[in-house]
Amino acid sequence: MNTIILIFIIFLGGAILTFLAGMLKGILKEVLFLASVFVPVVLFFTNISIGQTFSFQAAGFAFQWGITPLSYVFALIVAGLGLMAAIYAVSAMRNKDNVSFFYFNYILTIMSMLGILFSRDLISFFIFWEIMTWSSYLMVVYQGKDVQTVGIKYFIFSAVGAYAMLMAIVVIYSLTGSMMIDSLIQSFPGFSFNMQLLIPILLLIGFGVKSALMPLHVWAPGAYSHAPMAYSSVFSGALSKMGIYGMVIVMVSLISHIPGGHWFREVIAWLGGITAVMGTLWAIKQDDAKKLLAYSSIGQLGYIIVGVGIGTPLAMMSGLFLAVMHALFKGTLFMVVGAIERQTGTSNLTEVTGLIRKMPWTFLAALFAIIALAGIPPLGGFISKWMLYESLIGSNHYLLVIVIFFSSTAAFLYCYKFLFGFFLGQEETEWSHVKEAPAMMVVPMLILAVSTFVLGVFPGLILNPINEAMQTLGYANTQGHLWELSIIFNEWGNQIAMQPIVYTIIGIFLFFLTFLTIKGYKETRYVTTKDISSSGEVPKEHENLTFSMNFMQPFFRAVEPLMRRQIDKYYTGFANGMEALFDFTRRIYTGNGQTYAMYVVIFVVLLLLFKNIIFG
Amino acid sequence: MESIWYKILGAIITVIVAFIVGLTYMGLSRKITARIQNRKGPPFYQNFIDALKLASKTSAIHHGFMQHIGPAFMMITSIMSVLVVPVLTGDQWFSNLNFKGDLIFLLYIMVFGPLGMALGAGQTGNPNSAIGVTRGLSQMVGFEIPWVMALVALMMQYKTASIVDLINIQQEQGVWLMFSSPFAFIAAVLAMLGMFRYSPFDIVGAPTELASGPVSENGGKYLFTLMSSNSIFAFAKLTLYVDLFLGGASNIVELLIKTFAIYLIPMLYGTVSPRYRTEQAIKYFWGWPLFFGFLALLYAAIF
Repeated sequence: MNTIILIFIIFLGGAILTFLAGMLKGILKEVLFLASVFVPVVLFFTNISIGQTFSFQAAGFAFQWGITPLSYVFALIVAGLGLMAAIYAVSAMRNKDNVSFFYFNYILTIMSMLGILFSRDLISFFIFWEIMTWSSYLMVVYQGKDVQTVGIKYFIFSAVGAYAMLMAIVVIYSLTGSMMIDSLIQSFPGFSFNMQLLIPILLLIGFGVKSALMPLHVWAPGAYSHAPMAYSSVFSGALSKMGIYGMVIVMVSLISHIPGGHWFREVIAWLGGITAVMGTLWAIKQDDAKKLLAYSSIGQLGYIIVGVGIGTPLAMMSGLFLAVMHALFKGTLFMVVGAIERQTGTSNLTEVTGLIRKMPWTFLAALFAIIALAGIPPLGGFISKWMLYESLIGSNHYLLVIVIFFSSTAAFLYCYKFLFGFFLGQEETEWSHVKEAPAMMVVPMLILAVSTFVLGVFPGLILNPINEAMQTLGYANTQGHLWELSIIFNEWGNQIAMQPIVYTIIGIFLFFLTFLTIKGYKETRYVTTKDISSSGEVPKEHENLTFSMNFMQPFFRAVEPLMRRQIDKYYTGFANGMEALFDFTRRIYTGNGQTYAMYVVIFVVLLLLFKNIIFG
Repeated sequence: MESIWYKILGAIITVIVAFIVGLTYMGLSRKITARIQNRKGPPFYQNFIDALKLASKTSAIHHGFMQHIGPAFMMITSIMSVLVVPVLTGDQWFSNLNFKGDLIFLLYIMVFGPLGMALGAGQTGNPNSAIGVTRGLSQMVGFEIPWVMALVALMMQYKTASIVDLINIQQEQGVWLMFSSPFAFIAAVLAMLGMFRYSPFDIVGAPTELASGPVSENGGKYLFTLMSSNSIFAFAKLTLYVDLFLGGASNIVELLIKTFAIYLIPMLYGTVSPRYRTEQAIKYFWGWPLFFGFLALLYAAIF
């Protein structure tokens, strides 16, 4: 049997079997769940080669599944993160209600994402897209909180995106008579200008919703924070990348062929930049870590969209590299929040403090992920940030680069808030019982966190598939003049050689670690966080010295004008306006026969009055 | 392998020179400030005495492992910056990591240490430390914007992100960048006021208000490490300004004169200004410095 179809059969069968096994107690369903994620992923890595296809006919349409170099990059994200989050989920979801329902949706999500990446025709693309939307919707409402607001909002935006995409697909079919993505790309330059504008805009609405592009992002903070954290790491890390995947194809293969298409891409890039700034600012304001990460995801996706939108070789590389990195570090961070929520019962940054000594491994994973998120060398986030800046400067986007710089400098604020809020600060007796999360949760986090470090030192490992993907998109080979295994270059030939830098950093660090840190740590004794210098007074045990409320208040006093406008308010205004309109319509249709008779009379009178004008 | 050892030796010498020069400058600044305020002031070598005293002290207590790693992180930033910035132009001995990193790398490695330090400060549980850190990060968002604008203007104008290339361009043209890109220089100097954290931008340490902020729980060897790291870092930043705007320096005397001239700017500005509140500091950087930053970008885009 063809491996491609085998993968999907295992996914689907595994999902149903796991769901049914939910009636049984015990470890069986966990094993089934892990197997039905693990086996297809292993099959994918071992038996699938790029270019392999599988086609069949159904209902008069030709379907084709196969993997391209571009979808391979994204499939790496889905398979890798999906596997890690599955291991994490088994432990995280143990003893929860309706676990089999969670497993069922989880497997379906992974399957539908791989399906999207495999689809070479628009019908199966759309079907898998809808499965993805449905399964993620069911996860958002899984915990049953705020279904009315969060769930409905996510569903409405997804529906709008899906309908826009469906419309585009119908238009494409009527124009080309084929559902194949390749034939669309080939015949696109021959379309009329109106169609050339309409199709990408409709498709971008669909993809923009999933990748949380402003102004279509309002569903994201609620949805990311309401799904179980084991799922949110996939939701934000991999599922949002499906929007990016579609966007890359639309941007490079369609919009580039429109006359003046670079203005179009410029607009998208600017939208991405504004998304990045606003996402970051709102992330700093959040006190709930889940919301903080959700807004931070929106901001990070903004960077990716900037890179994809600008579209120079370096910018595209940075966008795709950041897509991979974001999956790694944001996946880790959502898992960290999940672990803390499981151990303490809350994810509020103002409540939990001082966990570093209780959950050291979780802290280590969070530290790596945060350093990668902040874009600080030598971790992988730096590589993508560096390439993004250099590409923006090299292509003369000097205002956009300032916007991006502002947002990524401001990102340090929420990075610190996240680490400080959970792990540092006063150790309160309220949390003295907290223990480290189970190994099955910690190990996936650590694996993901360490891989950010490996990819930071050897970015070529991921840039190699990215380079192949870009070559199929029509870019020239960039190996050797934009990147090597551990060296990256900008367009002017300036280089960052990661290996000497990393070795120097490690050398300095080890020197001070041995001669200062470890020595000092052994020579001194531990005292509680109440035993601190506070102007000669000794704080009593009950005195509250925790600093977590209004954490970044001085900063907000300065940026207040930027945050007065909320896109949410406009949508609410729009909805209220629509409601008023419907109300008005209801007044016309009173249900009273007399009124309708009057309408008929008025209509006839008007007809008689204006008959000369109407009938000439 | 011989060349590797030479390189390491060169790097160590660079760091030691940076340490000595940085501490001397700090001592001089104490003396000058004192004379401006009509005091006698400590001798210029007072900081060496302080450093020696701190280094010979032992600590008794700690609040956890992260507190001990904080100073090590800070040291990484200082040493990496001084290695990436070209100290003497055209000198093979002290080329260090000059060609391995560029301006944007430098910008990012510069925040590595403060963030690591902030984590260390956070673990102590001292509210003053955390308040200092939040102030410092907020202020950084303020001054980074004009500073980055100046750098982007330079990079765009000369089509390079390498500091060595920028020095070479100045030597070829025979004109310092502070004259050929005046607006970028002004924006960068105004941003420098925040970077050096002298009054009115000393909101992070904030003597008499925050009890020296993030470092308040560090003593003995840790304070010595932080002090030497600060002096190395200050030297690296001054050298960067000299390299970017004052044509670099080909020998140590020239370097000292130029760096001290730059150093006087934030110091003298500080002696006559009272401290800002955090949001005032941020708004300060988003006023005139931002305006000059825009002018610099415009200038770079047109020429």
